[in-house]
Amino acid sequence: MAIHEPSRRLMHSVRLKFVQKRVRGRGSRLTNANLSLTSMIDFLVVTVVFLLMTFSASGETPIAKNVTLPKAENALDMVDAPMVAITGSQILVDGTPSGNTRAIEDLKRVQRVDELFNLLKGKRDHWKELRPGKEFPGVVVLQIDQDVQAVVVKSVFQTAAFAGYPNVSFMVNALPRNAAHE
Amino acid sequence: MAGVDVGGSGRSGRRSLDSEINMIPMIDLLMVTISFLLITAVWSHMARLNADAQVPGPPRPDVEQEKVEPEKQLHVEMRTPDKFVLIWRQGGTVVSTLDVPRKDDVKQEGPTRVVRYPELAAKIEDEWKAVGQHRDPTDRKLDQVVLHTDNETPYSQLIGVIDAIYQVHRPLAGVGTGNVQKVQSVPAFNVTFAIN
Repeated sequence: MAIHEPSRRLMHSVRLKFVQKRVRGRGSRLTNANLSLTSMIDFLVVTVVFLLMTFSASGETPIAKNVTLPKAENALDMVDAPMVAITGSQILVDGTPSGNTRAIEDLKRVQRVDELFNLLKGKRDHWKELRPGKEFPGVVVLQIDQDVQAVVVKSVFQTAAFAGYPNVSFMVNALPRNAAHE
Repeated sequence: MAGVDVGGSGRSGRRSLDSEINMIPMIDLLMVTISFLLITAVWSHMARLNADAQVPGPPRPDVEQEKVEPEKQLHVEMRTPDKFVLIWRQGGTVVSTLDVPRKDDVKQEGPTRVVRYPELAAKIEDEWKAVGQHRDPTDRKLDQVVLHTDNETPYSQLIGVIDAIYQVHRPLAGVGTGNVQKVQSVPAFNVTFAIN
Protein backbone atom coordinates (compact mmCIF):
# COMPACT_ATOMS: atom_id res chain seq x y z
CA MET A 1 0.00 0.00 0.00
CA ALA A 2 1.34 3.33 -0.99
CA ILE A 3 2.11 5.91 1.61
CA HIS A 4 0.17 9.15 1.24
CA GLU A 5 0.85 12.51 2.69
CA PRO A 6 -1.67 13.00 5.46
CA SER A 7 -4.63 15.05 4.37
CA ARG A 8 -6.06 17.98 6.30
CA ARG A 9 -8.84 15.98 7.85
CA LEU A 10 -8.77 12.48 9.15
CA MET A 11 -10.77 9.60 7.71
CA HIS A 12 -11.28 11.21 4.30
CA SER A 13 -9.09 8.67 2.61
CA VAL A 14 -11.16 5.74 3.79
CA ARG A 15 -13.13 4.59 0.80
CA LEU A 16 -16.07 3.15 2.52
CA LYS A 17 -19.51 4.62 1.94
CA PHE A 18 -20.72 4.77 5.52
CA VAL A 19 -17.43 6.30 6.64
CA GLN A 20 -17.53 8.94 3.94
CA LYS A 21 -21.11 9.75 4.84
CA ARG A 22 -20.24 10.33 8.44
CA VAL A 23 -17.04 12.25 7.77
CA ARG A 24 -18.56 14.68 5.34
CA GLY A 25 -21.50 15.27 7.60
CA ARG A 26 -24.01 15.04 4.85
CA GLY A 27 -27.54 14.41 5.78
CA SER A 28 -29.03 14.94 9.19
CA ARG A 29 -27.30 13.79 12.33
CA LEU A 30 -28.58 10.51 13.70
CA THR A 31 -31.19 11.01 16.39
CA ASN A 32 -30.64 7.60 17.93
CA ALA A 33 -27.60 7.17 20.15
CA ASN A 34 -26.18 3.80 20.97
CA LEU A 35 -26.02 2.86 24.61
CA SER A 36 -23.59 0.23 25.70
CA LEU A 37 -25.78 -2.36 27.35
CA THR A 38 -22.91 -3.98 29.24
CA SER A 39 -21.86 -0.72 30.90
CA MET A 40 -25.43 0.17 31.73
CA ILE A 41 -26.13 -3.18 33.38
CA ASP A 42 -22.82 -2.96 35.27
CA PHE A 43 -23.85 0.47 36.56
CA LEU A 44 -27.33 -0.72 37.56
CA VAL A 45 -25.99 -3.78 39.34
CA VAL A 46 -23.41 -1.72 41.27
CA THR A 47 -26.15 0.75 42.30
CA VAL A 48 -28.43 -2.08 43.44
CA VAL A 49 -25.62 -3.68 45.47
CA PHE A 50 -24.71 -0.35 47.11
CA LEU A 51 -28.32 0.42 48.01
CA LEU A 52 -28.89 -3.10 49.33
CA MET A 53 -25.81 -2.83 51.56
CA THR A 54 -26.95 0.49 53.00
CA PHE A 55 -30.56 -0.66 53.35
CA SER A 56 -31.98 -0.61 56.84
CA ALA A 57 -34.95 -2.88 57.48
CA SER A 58 -35.68 -1.29 60.86
CA GLY A 59 -36.71 1.98 59.24
CA GLU A 60 -36.36 5.49 60.50
CA THR A 61 -37.01 6.43 64.12
CA PRO A 62 -39.86 8.94 64.14
CA ILE A 63 -38.84 12.40 65.36
CA ALA A 64 -41.33 14.73 66.98
CA LYS A 65 -42.18 17.91 65.10
CA ASN A 66 -40.27 21.10 65.99
CA VAL A 67 -37.41 19.11 67.50
CA THR A 68 -33.91 19.76 66.20
CA LEU A 69 -31.65 17.10 67.59
CA PRO A 70 -28.02 17.89 68.33
CA LYS A 71 -25.25 15.94 66.63
CA ALA A 72 -22.61 13.75 68.27
CA GLU A 73 -19.71 11.60 67.13
CA ASN A 74 -19.35 9.01 69.86
CA ALA A 75 -22.86 7.65 69.82
CA LEU A 76 -24.31 4.15 70.07
CA ASP A 77 -26.92 2.46 67.90
CA MET A 78 -30.55 3.10 68.74
CA VAL A 79 -32.50 0.70 70.93
CA ASP A 80 -36.18 -0.10 71.09
CA ALA A 81 -37.35 1.75 74.20
CA PRO A 82 -40.01 4.25 75.28
CA MET A 83 -39.39 7.62 73.60
CA VAL A 84 -39.80 10.79 75.64
CA ALA A 85 -39.92 13.85 73.40
CA ILE A 86 -39.87 17.47 74.52
CA THR A 87 -41.46 19.71 71.90
CA GLY A 88 -41.71 23.32 72.94
CA SER A 89 -43.07 23.04 76.45
CA GLN A 90 -44.92 19.78 75.91
CA ILE A 91 -43.69 16.35 76.96
CA LEU A 92 -44.73 13.35 74.86
CA VAL A 93 -44.18 9.67 75.64
CA ASP A 94 -44.40 7.66 72.42
CA GLY A 95 -46.60 10.44 71.03
CA THR A 96 -48.92 10.62 74.06
CA PRO A 97 -48.98 13.98 75.91
CA SER A 98 -47.65 13.54 79.42
CA GLY A 99 -47.11 16.90 81.04
CA ASN A 100 -45.35 20.13 80.24
CA THR A 101 -42.20 21.93 81.24
CA ARG A 102 -43.59 25.42 81.94
CA ALA A 103 -43.48 25.04 85.72
CA ILE A 104 -39.85 23.91 85.59
CA GLU A 105 -38.85 26.80 83.31
CA ASP A 106 -40.66 29.34 85.51
CA LEU A 107 -39.22 28.09 88.80
CA LYS A 108 -35.78 27.26 87.30
CA ARG A 109 -35.55 24.38 89.73
CA VAL A 110 -35.18 20.65 89.09
CA GLN A 111 -38.42 18.88 89.95
CA ARG A 112 -40.31 15.70 89.22
CA VAL A 113 -42.91 15.79 86.40
CA ASP A 114 -45.77 13.81 87.95
CA GLU A 115 -47.68 13.10 84.74
CA LEU A 116 -44.55 11.78 83.04
CA PHE A 117 -43.65 9.76 86.13
CA ASN A 118 -47.09 8.08 86.23
CA LEU A 119 -47.07 7.26 82.52
CA LEU A 120 -43.56 5.79 82.58
CA LYS A 121 -44.30 3.82 85.74
CA GLY A 122 -47.46 2.46 84.09
CA LYS A 123 -45.45 1.36 81.07
CA ARG A 124 -42.93 -0.33 83.34
CA ASP A 125 -45.63 -2.20 85.27
CA HIS A 126 -47.26 -3.27 82.02
CA TRP A 127 -43.94 -4.59 80.70
CA LYS A 128 -43.41 -6.59 83.90
CA GLU A 129 -46.91 -8.04 83.73
CA LEU A 130 -46.33 -9.23 80.18
CA ARG A 131 -42.91 -10.72 80.95
CA PRO A 132 -42.96 -12.12 84.47
CA GLY A 133 -39.58 -13.26 85.74
CA LYS A 134 -37.63 -11.22 83.20
CA GLU A 135 -35.36 -8.40 84.25
CA PHE A 136 -36.68 -4.98 83.22
CA PRO A 137 -34.07 -3.19 81.05
CA GLY A 138 -35.03 0.27 82.35
CA VAL A 139 -34.03 2.06 79.15
CA VAL A 140 -35.69 5.25 78.01
CA VAL A 141 -34.70 7.49 75.08
CA LEU A 142 -34.97 11.26 75.40
CA GLN A 143 -35.65 13.24 72.23
CA ILE A 144 -34.87 16.82 73.18
CA ASP A 145 -34.49 19.99 71.12
CA GLN A 146 -31.00 21.51 71.05
CA ASP A 147 -32.13 24.75 72.71
CA VAL A 148 -33.90 23.23 75.72
CA GLN A 149 -32.41 24.36 79.04
CA ALA A 150 -30.45 21.99 81.27
CA VAL A 151 -32.97 22.38 84.09
CA VAL A 152 -35.63 20.71 81.92
CA VAL A 153 -33.23 17.97 80.82
CA LYS A 154 -32.25 17.24 84.43
CA SER A 155 -35.89 17.22 85.57
CA VAL A 156 -36.93 14.73 82.87
CA PHE A 157 -33.79 12.66 83.53
CA GLN A 158 -34.55 12.53 87.25
CA THR A 159 -38.25 11.74 86.67
CA ALA A 160 -37.35 8.84 84.36
CA ALA A 161 -34.89 7.50 86.92
CA PHE A 162 -37.46 7.67 89.72
CA ALA A 163 -40.01 5.88 87.48
CA GLY A 164 -37.64 2.92 87.19
CA TYR A 165 -35.67 3.84 84.07
CA PRO A 166 -32.06 4.35 85.24
CA ASN A 167 -30.57 3.87 81.75
CA VAL A 168 -31.37 7.12 80.03
CA SER A 169 -30.21 7.70 76.47
CA PHE A 170 -30.11 11.01 74.63
CA MET A 171 -31.13 10.75 71.00
CA VAL A 172 -28.76 12.52 68.60
CA ASN A 173 -27.97 12.68 64.92
CA ALA A 174 -24.90 10.55 64.37
CA LEU A 175 -21.80 12.24 62.98
CA PRO A 176 -19.09 10.12 61.36
CA ARG A 177 -16.43 9.33 63.93
CA ASN A 178 -13.04 10.95 63.66
CA ALA A 179 -10.67 8.37 62.17
CA ALA A 180 -8.00 9.28 64.74
CA HIS A 181 -10.13 7.78 67.51
CA GLU A 182 -11.04 4.53 65.78
CA MET B 1 -29.32 -10.19 22.47
CA ALA B 2 -26.96 -10.95 25.33
CA GLY B 3 -26.59 -14.47 26.54
CA VAL B 4 -25.23 -16.41 29.45
CA ASP B 5 -22.93 -19.33 28.82
CA VAL B 6 -23.65 -22.05 31.33
CA GLY B 7 -21.06 -24.37 29.93
CA GLY B 8 -21.39 -27.10 27.37
CA SER B 9 -19.53 -29.76 25.47
CA GLY B 10 -19.94 -28.09 22.08
CA ARG B 11 -20.68 -31.38 20.42
CA SER B 12 -23.25 -31.22 17.69
CA GLY B 13 -26.57 -33.00 17.93
CA ARG B 14 -27.08 -32.06 21.55
CA ARG B 15 -29.42 -29.46 22.90
CA SER B 16 -27.59 -26.17 23.38
CA LEU B 17 -26.64 -25.40 26.97
CA ASP B 18 -26.46 -21.66 26.29
CA SER B 19 -29.52 -19.86 27.50
CA GLU B 20 -30.44 -16.28 26.87
CA ILE B 21 -31.61 -13.74 29.40
CA ASN B 22 -34.20 -11.32 28.17
CA MET B 23 -32.61 -7.94 28.76
CA ILE B 24 -35.80 -5.87 28.92
CA PRO B 25 -37.36 -7.55 32.00
CA MET B 26 -33.93 -7.71 33.61
CA ILE B 27 -33.36 -3.96 33.24
CA ASP B 28 -36.94 -3.36 34.38
CA LEU B 29 -36.26 -5.42 37.51
CA LEU B 30 -33.05 -3.53 38.24
CA MET B 31 -34.79 -0.18 37.77
CA VAL B 32 -37.67 -1.14 40.07
CA THR B 33 -35.22 -2.43 42.70
CA ILE B 34 -33.23 0.82 42.55
CA SER B 35 -36.41 2.90 42.85
CA PHE B 36 -37.62 0.88 45.85
CA LEU B 37 -34.28 1.09 47.63
CA LEU B 38 -33.93 4.83 46.96
CA ILE B 39 -37.44 5.53 48.26
CA THR B 40 -36.97 3.47 51.42
CA ALA B 41 -33.41 4.66 52.08
CA VAL B 42 -32.76 6.29 55.45
CA TRP B 43 -30.32 9.11 54.93
CA SER B 44 -30.22 10.52 58.48
CA HIS B 45 -28.74 8.07 60.95
CA MET B 46 -30.10 8.34 64.47
CA ALA B 47 -28.01 7.32 67.43
CA ARG B 48 -27.94 7.76 71.21
CA LEU B 49 -25.61 8.86 73.96
CA ASN B 50 -26.01 6.74 77.04
CA ALA B 51 -26.23 8.12 80.55
CA ASP B 52 -26.71 6.36 83.83
CA ALA B 53 -28.86 7.59 86.69
CA GLN B 54 -27.28 6.35 89.88
CA VAL B 55 -30.40 5.70 91.89
CA PRO B 56 -29.60 4.20 95.28
CA GLY B 57 -31.81 1.36 96.45
CA PRO B 58 -33.98 1.70 99.54
CA PRO B 59 -32.09 1.46 102.85
CA ARG B 60 -31.90 -2.07 104.25
CA PRO B 61 -31.42 -1.79 108.03
CA ASP B 62 -31.73 -5.57 108.39
CA VAL B 63 -28.69 -6.26 106.18
CA GLU B 64 -25.24 -5.44 107.44
CA GLN B 65 -23.47 -3.27 104.90
CA GLU B 66 -19.93 -4.11 103.93
CA LYS B 67 -17.54 -1.24 104.21
CA VAL B 68 -16.25 -0.71 100.71
CA GLU B 69 -13.78 2.01 99.90
CA PRO B 70 -15.51 4.50 97.59
CA GLU B 71 -14.16 4.70 94.07
CA LYS B 72 -12.66 7.80 92.54
CA GLN B 73 -15.12 9.70 90.38
CA LEU B 74 -14.39 12.44 87.89
CA HIS B 75 -16.64 15.48 88.37
CA VAL B 76 -16.85 17.77 85.34
CA GLU B 77 -18.14 21.22 86.23
CA MET B 78 -19.38 23.53 83.47
CA ARG B 79 -20.81 26.34 85.52
CA THR B 80 -18.86 29.27 84.06
CA PRO B 81 -18.51 30.27 80.39
CA ASP B 82 -14.71 30.52 80.53
CA LYS B 83 -13.56 27.21 82.00
CA PHE B 84 -14.34 23.61 82.89
CA VAL B 85 -13.20 22.23 86.23
CA LEU B 86 -12.18 18.58 86.40
CA ILE B 87 -12.26 17.25 89.98
CA TRP B 88 -11.35 13.71 91.03
CA ARG B 89 -13.24 12.84 94.20
CA GLN B 90 -13.08 9.76 96.37
CA GLY B 91 -16.16 9.82 98.53
CA GLY B 92 -16.17 13.30 100.04
CA THR B 93 -12.44 13.84 99.56
CA VAL B 94 -11.11 15.92 96.70
CA VAL B 95 -8.13 14.06 95.20
CA SER B 96 -7.14 16.55 92.50
CA THR B 97 -8.49 19.55 90.62
CA LEU B 98 -7.72 20.81 87.13
CA ASP B 99 -9.02 23.87 85.28
CA VAL B 100 -9.51 23.51 81.52
CA PRO B 101 -10.07 26.67 79.45
CA ARG B 102 -13.44 26.48 77.78
CA LYS B 103 -13.43 26.96 74.01
CA ASP B 104 -16.76 26.19 72.37
CA ASP B 105 -16.12 24.94 68.83
CA VAL B 106 -19.54 25.77 67.36
CA LYS B 107 -20.50 24.93 63.79
CA GLN B 108 -23.86 25.49 62.20
CA GLU B 109 -24.93 22.57 60.00
CA GLY B 110 -28.32 23.52 58.59
CA PRO B 111 -30.66 24.03 61.52
CA THR B 112 -28.38 22.04 63.84
CA ARG B 113 -25.74 23.68 66.00
CA VAL B 114 -22.83 21.28 66.49
CA VAL B 115 -20.83 22.04 69.64
CA ARG B 116 -17.49 20.35 70.25
CA TYR B 117 -14.90 20.58 73.02
CA PRO B 118 -11.69 19.00 71.66
CA GLU B 119 -9.45 20.45 74.43
CA LEU B 120 -11.75 19.07 77.11
CA ALA B 121 -11.73 15.63 75.47
CA ALA B 122 -7.92 15.64 75.36
CA LYS B 123 -7.62 16.67 79.04
CA ILE B 124 -10.17 14.05 80.14
CA GLU B 125 -8.19 11.40 78.27
CA ASP B 126 -4.97 12.50 80.01
CA GLU B 127 -6.72 12.46 83.37
CA TRP B 128 -8.15 8.99 82.79
CA LYS B 129 -4.74 7.64 81.78
CA ALA B 130 -3.24 9.08 84.97
CA VAL B 131 -5.96 8.48 87.57
CA GLY B 132 -8.63 6.20 86.03
CA GLN B 133 -9.23 3.04 88.06
CA HIS B 134 -10.66 0.71 85.42
CA ARG B 135 -8.01 0.66 82.74
CA ASP B 136 -7.35 -3.07 82.58
CA PRO B 137 -8.91 -4.68 79.45
CA THR B 138 -10.37 -7.49 81.60
CA ASP B 139 -12.07 -5.04 83.97
CA ARG B 140 -15.72 -4.80 82.97
CA LYS B 141 -16.48 -1.80 85.19
CA LEU B 142 -16.21 1.72 83.86
CA ASP B 143 -15.01 4.88 85.54
CA GLN B 144 -17.76 7.31 86.46
CA VAL B 145 -18.14 10.94 85.37
CA VAL B 146 -20.59 13.22 87.16
CA LEU B 147 -21.58 16.23 85.08
CA HIS B 148 -22.42 19.47 86.91
CA THR B 149 -24.12 22.24 84.95
CA ASP B 150 -26.05 25.37 85.73
CA ASN B 151 -29.74 25.34 84.90
CA GLU B 152 -29.57 27.65 81.88
CA THR B 153 -27.05 25.66 79.84
CA PRO B 154 -28.50 24.73 76.40
CA TYR B 155 -28.92 21.03 75.67
CA SER B 156 -26.58 21.26 72.64
CA GLN B 157 -23.70 22.20 74.97
CA LEU B 158 -24.53 19.33 77.33
CA ILE B 159 -24.38 16.92 74.40
CA GLY B 160 -21.05 18.50 73.34
CA VAL B 161 -19.56 17.79 76.77
CA ILE B 162 -20.98 14.24 76.96
CA ASP B 163 -19.63 13.59 73.46
CA ALA B 164 -16.18 14.82 74.57
CA ILE B 165 -16.30 12.50 77.60
CA TYR B 166 -17.26 9.51 75.44
CA GLN B 167 -14.38 10.24 73.09
CA VAL B 168 -12.05 8.51 75.56
CA HIS B 169 -12.04 4.82 74.64
CA ARG B 170 -10.44 1.77 76.22
CA PRO B 171 -10.11 -1.88 75.18
CA LEU B 172 -12.48 -4.37 76.79
CA ALA B 173 -11.63 -8.08 76.55
CA GLY B 174 -14.05 -10.97 76.57
CA VAL B 175 -16.83 -9.45 74.52
CA GLY B 176 -18.59 -12.22 72.65
CA THR B 177 -19.97 -15.66 73.25
CA GLY B 178 -18.39 -19.07 73.74
CA ASN B 179 -14.78 -19.52 72.75
CA VAL B 180 -14.87 -16.69 70.24
CA GLN B 181 -14.07 -13.72 72.43
CA LYS B 182 -12.64 -10.55 71.07
CA VAL B 183 -11.32 -7.26 72.36
CA GLN B 184 -13.64 -4.35 71.72
CA SER B 185 -13.12 -0.61 72.03
CA VAL B 186 -15.65 0.87 74.47
CA PRO B 187 -16.02 4.30 76.12
CA ALA B 188 -13.85 4.57 79.21
CA PHE B 189 -16.46 6.46 81.21
CA ASN B 190 -20.06 6.24 82.20
CA VAL B 191 -21.82 9.60 82.49
CA THR B 192 -24.39 10.74 85.00
CA PHE B 193 -25.82 14.10 86.01
CA ALA B 194 -25.53 15.96 89.25
CA ILE B 195 -29.08 17.12 89.81
CA ASN B 196 -28.23 20.10 92.02
